[in-house]
Amino acid sequence: MSSLTSLDTPAVQPELAASNTRLAVRRFLRNRLAVVGLGVVVFFVLFCFVGPLLYSTDQTHTLLQQVNESPSGAHWLGTDAVGHDELGRLMYGGKVSLIVGLSAGVLATVIGTLWGAAAGYAGGWIDAVMMRVVDAGIAIPALFILLVVSAITTPDLSGLVLILGLISWLVPSRLVRAETLTLKNRDFVLTLRATGGGHARAITRHILPNSVSTVIVAATFQIADAILLVAYVSYLGLGVQPPSTDWGGMLSSGMTAAYSGYWWLIVPPGLAIILVVWAFNAIGDGLRDAFDVRGRA
Amino acid sequence: MSTYSFLIRRVLQALAVVLLVTVVVFCLLHALPGGPARGILGPQATASQITAFNHEQGLDRPLPVQYVYYLNQLVHGDFGMSYTLNEPVSQLITERLPKTLLLTVLSAVIGLLFAVPLGVWQAVRRNKPVDYVITTLSFIAYSTPVYFLGLILVLVFSQVLPWFPAQAPQGNSVGDILAQPQGLVLPVVAGAATMVAVFSRYMRSATLENLGEDYVRTARAGGTRPRAILTRHVFRNSLTPVVAMLGYYIPVLFGGALVVEQLFNYPGMGLLFWTAAQSSDYPVLLGCVLVISIATVTGSLLADVLQRVIDPRVKAGRS
Amino acid sequence: MSAVRPPAAPAPDGGHILDLDDLGVVFTTETGTVRAVRGVSLHVAPGETLALVGESGSGKSTVALAAMGLLAGNARATGRAVVDGTDIVGADEEQLSGLRGKTVSMVFQEPATALDPLTRVGRQIAEVIRNHRRVSAADAAARAVELLRRVGIPEPEQRARAYPFQLSGGQRQRVVIAMAIANEPALLIADEPTTALDVTVQAEILDLLRRLAAETGTGVLLVTHNMGVVADFADRVAVMYQGAVVETGSVEDVLLRPSHDYTKRLLSAVPRLSVSEAAGGGDTAEPAGAGSVGAGSVGAGSAEEPAVELTDVSVVFGRGKQAVHALRGVSFAVRPGETLGLVGESGSGKSTASRVALGLVAPTAGSVTLFGADLARTRARARRALRAGVGVVLQDPVASLDPRMTVGECVAEPLRVHRRTLSGRERESLVGDVLDRVRLPREVARRAPRELSGGQRQRVSLARALVLGPRLLVADEPTSALDVSVQEAVLEVIGELQEELGFACLFVSHDLAVVQQFARRVVVMRAGRAEEQGLTSATLLHPETDYTRRLLAAVPVPDPIVQRGRRAERLATLAAGRTEEQG
Repeated sequence: MSSLTSLDTPAVQPELAASNTRLAVRRFLRNRLAVVGLGVVVFFVLFCFVGPLLYSTDQTHTLLQQVNESPSGAHWLGTDAVGHDELGRLMYGGKVSLIVGLSAGVLATVIGTLWGAAAGYAGGWIDAVMMRVVDAGIAIPALFILLVVSAITTPDLSGLVLILGLISWLVPSRLVRAETLTLKNRDFVLTLRATGGGHARAITRHILPNSVSTVIVAATFQIADAILLVAYVSYLGLGVQPPSTDWGGMLSSGMTAAYSGYWWLIVPPGLAIILVVWAFNAIGDGLRDAFDVRGRA
Repeated sequence: MSTYSFLIRRVLQALAVVLLVTVVVFCLLHALPGGPARGILGPQATASQITAFNHEQGLDRPLPVQYVYYLNQLVHGDFGMSYTLNEPVSQLITERLPKTLLLTVLSAVIGLLFAVPLGVWQAVRRNKPVDYVITTLSFIAYSTPVYFLGLILVLVFSQVLPWFPAQAPQGNSVGDILAQPQGLVLPVVAGAATMVAVFSRYMRSATLENLGEDYVRTARAGGTRPRAILTRHVFRNSLTPVVAMLGYYIPVLFGGALVVEQLFNYPGMGLLFWTAAQSSDYPVLLGCVLVISIATVTGSLLADVLQRVIDPRVKAGRS
Repeated sequence: MSAVRPPAAPAPDGGHILDLDDLGVVFTTETGTVRAVRGVSLHVAPGETLALVGESGSGKSTVALAAMGLLAGNARATGRAVVDGTDIVGADEEQLSGLRGKTVSMVFQEPATALDPLTRVGRQIAEVIRNHRRVSAADAAARAVELLRRVGIPEPEQRARAYPFQLSGGQRQRVVIAMAIANEPALLIADEPTTALDVTVQAEILDLLRRLAAETGTGVLLVTHNMGVVADFADRVAVMYQGAVVETGSVEDVLLRPSHDYTKRLLSAVPRLSVSEAAGGGDTAEPAGAGSVGAGSVGAGSAEEPAVELTDVSVVFGRGKQAVHALRGVSFAVRPGETLGLVGESGSGKSTASRVALGLVAPTAGSVTLFGADLARTRARARRALRAGVGVVLQDPVASLDPRMTVGECVAEPLRVHRRTLSGRERESLVGDVLDRVRLPREVARRAPRELSGGQRQRVSLARALVLGPRLLVADEPTSALDVSVQEAVLEVIGELQEELGFACLFVSHDLAVVQQFARRVVVMRAGRAEEQGLTSATLLHPETDYTRRLLAAVPVPDPIVQRGRRAERLATLAAGRTEEQG
């Protein structure tokens, strides 16, 4: 070896030594909005799942002696039209909203990822046909489909998750397809293919692991959108059946009462929806910047 | 690619998408428990009543045959009769569609008029207080269900401050609607809010990306002042991807119109659709879905054409 | 330089148009601060060209940007950078705008992105004029056309109305130059102005810059890594290393009699093109080392069947009017133990040819034989087995290794594909062995690719290519993203291992000097055809076709005296050609 090796840059450049993950975490933590978002999500998870243990209320029986009471020491956020404590109901309904939103968001991302990765990797006419299907899906507004479905049937919770998942996988499928298209032409995949490596290896060892950050970011936004969509579900007549409820259900049943001045029936669930959806969007934004991937703006 | 062959290809693609939508709609129609008959005759209908209805409507024939029959009807503009309103669906839609288009186009244009400057302003003031405030506000606007926003608007600007009517203008034609502009204010604001939130974000990131491009450095090296670089170069370059996004956003606009029309009792297609859903009026529901899909596909086609007009590279097929 | 320059106008600061005094630049990044430039003091006099040379990371481009006041937002400059009496360090944006494009202009490396894609080029030139002069839009437009004519763009009236994407890379760079000289600046800063261009276009652009500078007495600060360009263009040279200037002097002194150790090592690493018609003098390299490797195996090689053979291969991408004929009837063979160099300019089809050889692109017509088996007639499973004998090294050191894997996993991947029965320990030991061979410490196996330098990463790619003991190595521009010193080390490793292991090597490169040193035989590609092929020693010294001759003549050699002769000869040939055409 010639003496020139010494000119080759030193083996480990200190600024690069921090791992990708650590760097991403550091970038995320520097994004104040994203950190606040994370705090909001943690708060609401505790509020809905631990809260009922500390603030116990009756959410099953109709209590006609305490209907539409305004906030007081006994009922911090007042009571609704059938006498349920509003604060307790916020915890109770939040469970449904969060569970349905999270599961539907994750389901949509999984479907979208598989579909997009398959289309992008296959390429050619398979890709063209698969993407026309996505175009067709996107051409029908989600709310219209939900309303048609509500005219046909009233699903249970898992059915609701399935429906929401099936109508919102289209956007993540586009993102993952784009990512797959670039990855499959990256030099390390070409090298593998040229030296006899199979498709399975290219997909499982290279393309999927390298799309993880794109998928995580997409999932975060997807969860935000799913929680928002869940809020529309009761409004459109597809909601969970009483006495169970979710934030959207509370909001739409409180709407008529709002004109009578019962603000405590709409402001808390409305704020809860806005805060949680905002928080997931802020987290998604922070993750996208931290991972430095392309996603929606 | 020449503009001509581009248009042909793009229209063919759009037709393929519309055809797929008809398949979806057709499948939905037959996914109904007991088929369309149960929905129309009600849960009390007996099996023999359903059989008789199915035979009468041709619903007992093989599905592919029914699909071809259905397509043939569609091509001839026959969307069937409304179960409840006793009018041809095509006539109902022809009357309502222009009013919905008016509402969506107004919301989109006004939304963009606010979103674009806001996005540019944020990009220029990146990571300054203004940027954080607008970012937070647009996230909040994005996170608010449209019906909740509409409700708040009515409570504040109609009940507390009696500035605008809580009810949208009524009338059979677009002219009637436009004759009462003050009634349009709240519905349009409710429809435009999400648009402002989404597109100010797009515009912000597109502008930021372009500010980092090499051509900005070239312009600076030629002594062009920052403001001129922004208005003459960066702005146009940032607008092109945003126009492309417009095509994707059309379904969301129609979804918003559905809620806004119901909330403000605006006599458009969304309200028609809503009422049809309450009364299980399937011909109207499916006809509306189809028309909205065609409108969406046409809209994204227009966005593509618009992009070709603004960006000469797209025309040359090398964006 | 021999050109006669008009007497320079007296300028402040001892007659210098640019004066850098103890210039320093510090970048604040998310992982800390980096001192990119330290204590740089330089000057450029009117009418002279100062070349600022160095390898990547030496800080040479940062100096150029600092002199324009165009440093990125996270950079802070200290010291002084005086342009025509104004200190750029600490000047406000308004002052800088008044200076840029009028007193000092800049030409950038990447013509593909340097122009606003949505604005017609004539307008972009006119904008620079109107930034500094009160002229009407029509006058500015007319002047823009005049400038396009001056920088040698044919049909300037029509071209002024073109968008940047409608022009070739060389023409775009001419437009950027037209913008730079629009207001006849006293100082022109050119940052790697020809690095992104083909060698023949590079020669034209250098001629243009030289002519323009001579006509107007403009001082030039030329930033480059290419010693040939320095020899061709510069009057004086400053060598930068790790943010500081280590040596300054006249171009003859620095290139022919370097005094600093770093300069000496750098120059000895530059691959030199040996030229038969060299105008004497200088230390042109003797026909080089690695060539003898191939020479040694001639006897054995020619008798055996080729490792890979392309016969009359054509490749067409797309169809109809948009069809691109990437290859048109190309034939060549690579025999065991020999290196075949594939050279050509961008778009010549050399990369497509290598991809056909790798089986990544299927030929539209013609046949490919790999180790004696016709690929089109081999079943998928057998084809995959055949490919176990192929090793690949591609150009981009970053994209070549999966960032989610460790170096060890990257190198072990071919073993996992083709030798699945190996135990983890056996695999580890084979990976260790091959890392030894490419002279990387075994410990790097546990590292992530991004922790390694570009040269080290290319050696990891090489290790991966060699781990199965291949019979054919395909190297597509394996060193063109690397600095010359690193390039030399990587090429040395490939050459030695080939001698030891006897694999065939298909070596794709745009660099004629590298191919001349490294390959025994060469194929010169042009517009999808094999223009000429033969033994490197013959073809690149006594080419048969005009094209190869032109290509060779355009390569600048890092010896100012020789290069001056070559340039004169090339321009004379060009002029003769032109008179012939007219006559």
